[in-house]
Amino acid sequence: MRDPQTAPPRLHLAFAALGLGFLAIFSWVFFKEQGAEWRSAQARFRKLEATVKNPHQLAQSAGAAGVRQVWLPDLDRVDRCTTCHLGVDDPAFAKAPALFRSHPGTWLTTHPVERFGCTVCHDGQGEATDYAHAAHKPIPGVARAMRPLETIEANCGACHRSLEPRGAPRLAEGRRLIVESGCVACHDIPGFEGVSFRGPGLDSLGYKVRPDWLEGWLKDPKGYLANSKMGNFRLSEAEIAGLRALLLSQKAEAPQVADVDWKKADSANGKALFGQLRCVSCHAVNGRGGTMGPELSRIGDKVRRDWLFSYLRDPHREQPDTAMLQYRLTDTQVRDVAAFLLEEYKTPGGEAEAAPAPYQDAPAVAEGRAVFVRRGCYGCHKLAGIRETGKIGPSLAGVADRDPDQLPYGGKPVRRTADNYIFLKVQQPDSLGAPSLMPTFSFAPAQAAKITLALASLHKADLPASRVVKEAPPTPYRPRGAFGELVTRYRCLSCHRIGGSGGDLSTVPLDRIGSQLQHDYLVAYLLNPGAVRVSVEARMPVFHMLPEEARTIADYAATTFLDDDLDRYDTRFTPAEVSRGEQLYRQLGCVGCHQLNLQGGYVGPDLSNTGQRLRPGWTAAWLAAPNRYKPGTLQPDYGLSPGDARALTAYLASLGGSTSRAAGKAASATGGGHP
Amino acid sequence: MSDRERDSTGGGRREFFLTGCAAVGLASAGFVVSTFRYLVPTVLYEPPARFTIGSPSSFPPGSVTFLEDRRLFLFNGQDGFFTVSSVCTHLGCNVKRAASGFECPCHGSRFDENGRVVHGPAPAPLAWYALSLSPRGELIVDLERTVGPDFRLKA
Amino acid sequence: MASPRFPRTRAWLDETARSVWRIGWPRTDKDRAAVMISSFFLHLPPARVSRHVLRPSYTLGLGLISAILFGVLTVTGLALMLYYVPHPPEAYRSVMDLQSVVTFGVILRNMHRWSAHAMVFVVFLHLCRVFWTGSYKRPREFNWVVGVVLLLLTLALSFTGYLLPWDQLAFWAITVGTNIAAYAPVVGDQVKFLLLGGHVIGPMTLLRFYVLHCVFLPLAVAVLISVHVWRVRKDGLSGAPEGSKPVEETAGVFPPSTKTWGLMALTRRPTVSVEARDPEDEVFAWPHLLYRELLVALGVVIALHVVSLLFMAPLEEMADPTRTPNPAKAPWYFLGLQELVHYSAFVGGVLVPTLIVVALLALPYVDRHPRGVGRWFAPERRVANAIFTAVVAVATVLTIIGTLFRGPNWAWTWPW
Repeated sequence: MRDPQTAPPRLHLAFAALGLGFLAIFSWVFFKEQGAEWRSAQARFRKLEATVKNPHQLAQSAGAAGVRQVWLPDLDRVDRCTTCHLGVDDPAFAKAPALFRSHPGTWLTTHPVERFGCTVCHDGQGEATDYAHAAHKPIPGVARAMRPLETIEANCGACHRSLEPRGAPRLAEGRRLIVESGCVACHDIPGFEGVSFRGPGLDSLGYKVRPDWLEGWLKDPKGYLANSKMGNFRLSEAEIAGLRALLLSQKAEAPQVADVDWKKADSANGKALFGQLRCVSCHAVNGRGGTMGPELSRIGDKVRRDWLFSYLRDPHREQPDTAMLQYRLTDTQVRDVAAFLLEEYKTPGGEAEAAPAPYQDAPAVAEGRAVFVRRGCYGCHKLAGIRETGKIGPSLAGVADRDPDQLPYGGKPVRRTADNYIFLKVQQPDSLGAPSLMPTFSFAPAQAAKITLALASLHKADLPASRVVKEAPPTPYRPRGAFGELVTRYRCLSCHRIGGSGGDLSTVPLDRIGSQLQHDYLVAYLLNPGAVRVSVEARMPVFHMLPEEARTIADYAATTFLDDDLDRYDTRFTPAEVSRGEQLYRQLGCVGCHQLNLQGGYVGPDLSNTGQRLRPGWTAAWLAAPNRYKPGTLQPDYGLSPGDARALTAYLASLGGSTSRAAGKAASATGGGHP
Repeated sequence: MSDRERDSTGGGRREFFLTGCAAVGLASAGFVVSTFRYLVPTVLYEPPARFTIGSPSSFPPGSVTFLEDRRLFLFNGQDGFFTVSSVCTHLGCNVKRAASGFECPCHGSRFDENGRVVHGPAPAPLAWYALSLSPRGELIVDLERTVGPDFRLKA
Repeated sequence: MASPRFPRTRAWLDETARSVWRIGWPRTDKDRAAVMISSFFLHLPPARVSRHVLRPSYTLGLGLISAILFGVLTVTGLALMLYYVPHPPEAYRSVMDLQSVVTFGVILRNMHRWSAHAMVFVVFLHLCRVFWTGSYKRPREFNWVVGVVLLLLTLALSFTGYLLPWDQLAFWAITVGTNIAAYAPVVGDQVKFLLLGGHVIGPMTLLRFYVLHCVFLPLAVAVLISVHVWRVRKDGLSGAPEGSKPVEETAGVFPPSTKTWGLMALTRRPTVSVEARDPEDEVFAWPHLLYRELLVALGVVIALHVVSLLFMAPLEEMADPTRTPNPAKAPWYFLGLQELVHYSAFVGGVLVPTLIVVALLALPYVDRHPRGVGRWFAPERRVANAIFTAVVAVATVLTIIGTLFRGPNWAWTWPW
């Protein structure tokens, strides 16, 4: 029987080889585990820690070995970034190498790591424990790689839902641009539910505009108005012809032409009035002026004479929602201003105005109506007889989470992410391969980037309520009664803020104006707003208010817009205080910025009539702490003691006797016209 | 068995076999060790044992604050901060502050100011936990480190 | 031989060993035979085997490798069960944790995945080998049937396990796979409904697949492997020994054996022994067979480790039912079918799989020709081998096309 009792030797060799191989492989497994990235990172951190920290403080991180994770069940996140980023929460590591450096700024004080983790702001794959899988750079198979820092405010917006979140300026600007550009007219956007946007009503367009202008406008709005809110709808010739037919056939109401003798119009008077009414505060001409209203550089090309007359007489009748105020002008004055505008601000050599021609072209009108509905013009413009069928654009809810692989990029060499799609779409809606109804807004790239930031914060998933930060918007201020009617007529809130709502053209909120200005001065000022500061361009317009209107406003302010702290000030000054104040006035060098009796600088207001202009309680409070009332003001904070402030106040309150120039102004308060 | 075969089974061949056995044995031992290490969890899906409770200025001197969700009393005493667990060592109810010390409403255990058992079924004193300051100056409680009743943190 | 040292300790160790294993370390022929019968873990092979069994070139050890892979899968699978959570979305997170934080989690997961793929492939090779050596013929017909069932169970195990990571790859592969199954006539939709535990792939699907994958299917496979190996023992290995006398068949009865068993002394003819073999050809299983099996096991484990260290098991993003990757591919072993489905849903989804399974199951009962057993590509079986090889080649080509040459929208693409 041939049966060796042991295996042939080559098998033993094989066994030895395989056994050693097995041991080698197993050791490789061990070393691979020991050599994990995060272990070596922690070892390096230990060494660094010894050089950076006080030995007693080393006990702090004693419990820091091993994988460190922040588990946020309400956000369904697990972040293990701090396994390697060990110094992120410790200011002692401000100068350490990037991996261990402490987090810049004070972000971790307001957003502690243990409550927020890291990926809520930075994105990336928090569960990973090595550099590659954490998606510091984009990797296939991971939807959310780490955000570049320039776009990080998009993640702020996921929780901070108010329209102007503090601490995120680019996001706030993006949201502001969305409000201003009227995106909500076509799209439902979460967070912008209370925002509405209307363009001018189009019901009397036939009387308002010249036909040739309308064609040019429809072809390219920015050709007429550089900062027009209306985008370019890329309309075909047929569409423009249809819309033109439709819009010019609208004759809802004839304007109030009455008997206007245009031949007697006095453009020179119109020009003077134009300056007095301070139209440029809101309407730019030739590149200079405000932006609250449309630029008037070529108004002569656009509007008809009769309509302009009617509008200037009563803007609220033509456009009830407009921010423009209604001056109290005579028809002659209105005629002169209208004539001036139409003569001065137009393309030279333009055609004379033709009478409005009735439109009989029914098919064109029908086509126009179809275009009006198809392109969603009714989203911004009211037009009688149009059936509004809801917003024509898709809802933007969850737009940041759309599947990047299903989105068009128009063949552009960009990474396929939802953010890039949004950016491209906002800039050039029709360049992404598929035809688009969205108009081209010609945003500057920086603007489009900020809008993208705002839209990239719109996620599909809901946040738990405890994580949402939404400051309630200020309730709009709507006064009632006689005062309320005046505020509505003269549109005070277009430029001023009261109670947090209003415009920002004026830097003076009116909440305590009754405690700041003396009553009679305010009346005189409303009737004849002069220059308080020579160096400031913006001026309050001459309203041509009636005296009783001015008095109503001043009375209301004196009883309502008050600050009790200012009003309690003891205004019984002694002569000693006055002379000490005069001494201080000289010592502190106030004359460098302020005029006094025709002497002094132009930076601050003329102080010659302070005794009749300002109330002493306000003066004292202002001198003591100017930055409290106007952060960033040029008025220095001298650190005055209360006594010194009182002395200066006493001195200033003594200025402006009846012989001064300002007293003369106040005494000649008249209604209508000007001195 | 022929002599040839006997020779071929001696010498270095046996060494190979033993080498193989040793290698496989070592690898198997490593296998057992790695299995054990595998079984030890490296991360815990639980609230962290070390957490911040706020800055020292939020707790005025002389105050006692009951942190409900953490089940801790935080004292800012004369000599500094210290924290006492409110978990009764009997069966785990929350103790309440009494005139001096603590009382447990469940079975009547009473503890003195330092948490030592004065009366009742509780078998052990209330736990004191280590307090420290974070690098940003906030108070940190470490539930994994118990300290004695003479512990104070000056902040 | 010199007397060994520590005689009393050695004697005590020896006695303790004997109390556990009944036989000490075998040093005599009697012990070598006895240890194979008295040890539970060693009772599978016979006490003595034909030396020609030890040739690797006959069976290539494929059945053994399959069984080893099953063992590896069981061990690694049990370990993974301690961390895996079978409920979405924790399923995905737990697999991510295995990869990123659990000590040795990466290697364990990789080993499980690569041995699963390897097992499907090796089982398939084993089937080919058995066919090409004609080892499915009488008396081994039923063992072939058990083997085919094991193949299907292996595919089922791999399929159910494929879903468990709950990532995009898993989710959509199973979507495709269950949709292919739904094409079955009459019962297709019901089967899909039962598999999914509903109409869509969701938490109930994951739970069903998990229980199938960890309990029912492994139990079934374990039982059937036992039956399979039992039949191998009883039917004998088909490899014809070199130079041995050809097997003579007596009409209707098993070939006669020259060997009698002591226990069968009451009968003239043994009832269970079926091997016709020459005692001169035999060697003891301990150590010859077992040593070689150990080496194969070591080799397989080492190879698995190397592959697991070098190649990461894929893990894409978490499953998102609203986003279909383009293309969505079934697991690789079904890609041949998916390629066919691309041409015709019925042919690829119903007809071909049914035909294949029916053909495989019926094969040994249809092909009654007794010749050509035990030799690779025996000339007597030219036709059968040709047909089988052709089908295998087509299946391979279709699978390769489906894997490498199909891109988005299932359009032709070059993989380079």
